[in-house]
Amino acid sequence: MQLAIQQLLPVPLKEKISQQGSGVWNNEIQFEEGKFIKIKAPSGTGKTTLIHYLYNTRYDYTGKVLVNGNPWQDYNASQVAQLRQQELSIIFQDLRLFEQLTALENIQLKNCMSGKAYCTDVEIDSMANQLQVSHVLQQSAATLSYGERQRIAIIRALTQPFSWLLMDEPFSHLDENNTRKAAQLIADACKKRNAGFILTDLDDDQHFEYHLEYQL
Amino acid sequence: MHTFNQLLKKIIRSGIGKSRYWMAYLGLGIAMILIFISIQLYANFNELLHSPKNKNESADFLVLNKNITRESDRNAEKNAFTPSEIADIEKQSFVADFGIMTASQFKVEAQPPVELQFSTALFFESVPDRFLDIKPEDWKWQPGNRLLPIVLPNSMLNMYNFGFALSQGLPQISQDNVKLLPIKVTIYNNYGQEEFVGKIAGFSDRISSILVPQTFMDWANKKYAPAANPDPNRVIIKTKDPGDPLLTRYLEKHNYATDADKLKNSKIRTVVQIIVSVIGAFGVVLLLFALLVFSMFIRLIISSCRKEINLLVTLGTAPSQLKRYLLKQFVPMYFVIAVVCLALISIIQLWAAHRLEYYQLSVSKYPGVGVFIAALAIVALLYVVNSRTIQKYISK
Repeated sequence: MQLAIQQLLPVPLKEKISQQGSGVWNNEIQFEEGKFIKIKAPSGTGKTTLIHYLYNTRYDYTGKVLVNGNPWQDYNASQVAQLRQQELSIIFQDLRLFEQLTALENIQLKNCMSGKAYCTDVEIDSMANQLQVSHVLQQSAATLSYGERQRIAIIRALTQPFSWLLMDEPFSHLDENNTRKAAQLIADACKKRNAGFILTDLDDDQHFEYHLEYQL
Repeated sequence: MHTFNQLLKKIIRSGIGKSRYWMAYLGLGIAMILIFISIQLYANFNELLHSPKNKNESADFLVLNKNITRESDRNAEKNAFTPSEIADIEKQSFVADFGIMTASQFKVEAQPPVELQFSTALFFESVPDRFLDIKPEDWKWQPGNRLLPIVLPNSMLNMYNFGFALSQGLPQISQDNVKLLPIKVTIYNNYGQEEFVGKIAGFSDRISSILVPQTFMDWANKKYAPAANPDPNRVIIKTKDPGDPLLTRYLEKHNYATDADKLKNSKIRTVVQIIVSVIGAFGVVLLLFALLVFSMFIRLIISSCRKEINLLVTLGTAPSQLKRYLLKQFVPMYFVIAVVCLALISIIQLWAAHRLEYYQLSVSKYPGVGVFIAALAIVALLYVVNSRTIQKYISK
């Protein structure tokens, strides 16, 4: 799936950006497929906003977000759903798990969404093991700590095919050990799918061997 | 999809209690049954009216006469049907066959066997043979025959058995025994007289008159009243449908009368139609209410789970997946209710057919096609309305 932006400008931040300039806003960028892309952005510059524009959950912008050459507006609800099931995965900054489900059920929800289970139970258990959340799988998502929930959200994002993974501060509540393990998991999953990712965060980091870095 | 739907079930909870659902389904069931009953009642009634198994021998023959009013009661001519009136009757759409009833132009006296101790003045009438339900070999007469077959109305035998006989202390007689009795029949007027041996050849529900074969009547009238050729006072018609409103209106318009009993069908028809319509209307109104209730259930589910539905869509759930899930909460139950109601109406129909057999009326043991079509139509309607409602509120 090709992902590109053209003169993308968030309406609420127009003023600020025209004053300060940006490496991403109001530029024309074709995100190269299969590349690990880092977008560094201090607080308030619109990291989360950008992720939402790319994922098509917010629409208050001028300019275009192009998916396979077409703007999001050209796709109907069924097509958008299809893209989100097959091409585009996401880890939200606010995680967005279902509190009514257990941790495992949250993962299975995405895993089974397309009809057939994408990952086997063994694979899921293995990922949970790696991120040290095996023991909370059967607990209701409402009872987990933020860090535990974050790790569940990460696993959930990996239980589907994708050519792009969007991540918004995915390791904010993880210790160094878990961050390293999670990054490994993600890198492996992307390599396996020949997929790329776009990760937004506040500072520079060494979690991945990034191919491209932008300043928002 | 199996696990996905199970997970959806945990997420999409409406807070509508089970009892509410059951009440709504019950309402729907009642609506269906009412509609089925009204359709089946209508079908049954039509079958009773028109099916060959229910052909009532007397129902389709009517004897017409003019209403004898105060002005006309001394004037037999006025009460007779003129040729033009006859022609008009013959060409009416409800007249399948037409015949003239010939009255005797001579006097008749009859004397049953001596033991019964009475003789009585009588009259004769005749109709063309095809209007009588009697075997030809029992009804033939030729000039020179002394034996005269007679057909009596059933009501006359009843009058004798339950009126005359009881009050006079005379024995009651069965139909079969009456047929064995020889009756001395004397016909006479100024011209002369003649004796015959009358034998009751049969009984009739159709015509309340004392009938003799047309051949006898033609011969006797010619012999004893050669000059007379009066217009008939009574005519007989065969009609497919005595309850036909056209018929009743024609009779009213021309001031003709007939056996009121047979016209009752028309009134009964109207009453049945009203009953059927009322039941059906109730059913339809109730069905509309049921539709409304289910639409509101769907709205309630969607709006009370707005957040959850939005997150599902955000995560990539297709609108069709949600729609399918929601429909699955209701549509299978619609089918179940339809089947239950069809079973119920079958039982009711079987019971009704059984009861009617006792009255020698026959209806089909099974519910008709109409009921099955109605069932399918109702379920289809429910599906379409639910589908539209989901579509409308999901995309909001």
